[in-house]
Amino acid sequence: MQVANRREWRILTTPLVGFLLLFLGFPIVVNLVYSVSDVTFETLRSPTITGFSNYIALLGEGDFWRASWFSLRFGILTALAECIIGLALAIFLAPLLAKRTFLMAPMMLPLMVAPAMVGLMYRLVLHEFVGPVPYYLYEWFGDSPTFFSVEAAFWTLIVVETLQWTPFAFLLFYMAYRAVPDEVHEAATIDGATPMQIVRTIDLPLMVPTIIVAFFIRFIDGFRVFDNVYTLTGTGPGGSTTSLSIYIYEAFFKQGAIGKAVAASMVLFIASFAVLFGLNWLSSRKSKGARA
Amino acid sequence: MIAALRWVVFIIAALAMNFPVIVTLVTSFKSAREITTNPGFWINQPTFANYLQVLEVSDRLNIFAYLGNSLAAALIGTTLALILAFPAAYAIARGDYGRRILMPSVVNLRAVPLIIFAIPIYMMFQWMGLLDTQLGLGLMLTIVNLPLALVILVNAIAEVPLELDEAAKMDGASTFEIMLGIIRPVVRPAIVTTFIFGFITAWNEFLFGLMLTTNKAVPMTVGASFFFSASGGGVQWGPASAVMIIGALPPMLLGLVMYKQISGSMTAGAVKG
Repeated sequence: MQVANRREWRILTTPLVGFLLLFLGFPIVVNLVYSVSDVTFETLRSPTITGFSNYIALLGEGDFWRASWFSLRFGILTALAECIIGLALAIFLAPLLAKRTFLMAPMMLPLMVAPAMVGLMYRLVLHEFVGPVPYYLYEWFGDSPTFFSVEAAFWTLIVVETLQWTPFAFLLFYMAYRAVPDEVHEAATIDGATPMQIVRTIDLPLMVPTIIVAFFIRFIDGFRVFDNVYTLTGTGPGGSTTSLSIYIYEAFFKQGAIGKAVAASMVLFIASFAVLFGLNWLSSRKSKGARA
Repeated sequence: MIAALRWVVFIIAALAMNFPVIVTLVTSFKSAREITTNPGFWINQPTFANYLQVLEVSDRLNIFAYLGNSLAAALIGTTLALILAFPAAYAIARGDYGRRILMPSVVNLRAVPLIIFAIPIYMMFQWMGLLDTQLGLGLMLTIVNLPLALVILVNAIAEVPLELDEAAKMDGASTFEIMLGIIRPVVRPAIVTTFIFGFITAWNEFLFGLMLTTNKAVPMTVGASFFFSASGGGVQWGPASAVMIIGALPPMLLGLVMYKQISGSMTAGAVKG
């Protein structure tokens, strides 16, 4: 029995559809138009269409490619680090956490703190004169690295991002690991398998779908990073920590280069759709396992 | 032996991940003098002076305004997301209406860099007079919250036995009455989870606070950074630490109380990715 008819379903979804068209559909159209126009803050309402000059200028700009390269490396490296550490922690700590769920709370706490705040907090943590990390490094080793030099700033940010978001990967992996039936583990143990063998031949293969999904989610979040990078290093020494999101923000607000900023937005839009197609394709192929 | 090693690894991991909060908390109870002379973990003379200083309202810095703006915008962003998502979730779960286009479009928003939409929305808000208002920020936060709200609610409604709807319909209830009178009470836990989780997400949002507010509607995440450039002579680390703790406290407390529900909802969104 159908609870309602099509017309009623349409009425129920209309508010959401209308909201999306207004706040997302309209912006996409505006982006599209502005990205092929000669537009300044004075000509917002009557932009002149000039073709692809914004895109050509953007793609010929070193700063744009540098920001893209930063985002790509940042996304891949943090996602890798978070997944590897998260996976190791989930499997190693599972016996400890199984009967003590309250221990999950401190592990999840970092996920509750605003990334922008975390960026600000690390300014203190790593500060040359008042930060405990350089202080203790000097006390114990007589020397401390400069965390925000051109070479080091990128890696500082990688560590900061990884420390905050490893709990997310950990959480996903912990749940997937717990979902493997105990009988499977018992049977393997009776057959004489070592714990390492069980993890490698049974748990990891079963967790592959979750690992792929976790990696993609963390990659996407790392790729579009803004908050903690912006509050910790800004754009970094010599623009060395400008992510794509920060690049678009700066192009628009600091330089008033509207055409360039919206062209970059469209490039990012297309790129994220390419990634999303990949993710959806993978998860539709593997969704049965991932939902377990 | 290995059990002890597990404890060691757990404690190191928990401390490392929560390190910035711990350091900031410790620093917030040190006097300005002690911060510069003793950057270590041990506090010699704990003081509340930093908190008292931060709570003092000045022309430039008003922590109560930032907290109020975060609260208002997060409430708007969470409530509106629920109001929009709930009926749509009902249509998707019961009628399969919108499962092919609407549902994926919203869910995939979770993974789209929202800065893509930021510039046109900035201009739109300028025309509509929504720049630097709590409502404007709240509308943006609605977009941020919609994907998880929809996923959680669709899953929750799909788990309610269809017989409930059918029995109510036999009794002559309209679709609207079934949705609000029968389904809504049953999925109340999911609604509460969505609300709490959405509130935390909205409270922690930074980019749109930075872009869409300048003065009147500045949220806590952005306002906290003002304390880093408060006055001449560099950062006043004591008050800055106190501000960060105050700003980070609401989502942390909510998270601690609700961590079980939240872990479920986080993975709900992730697994359906």
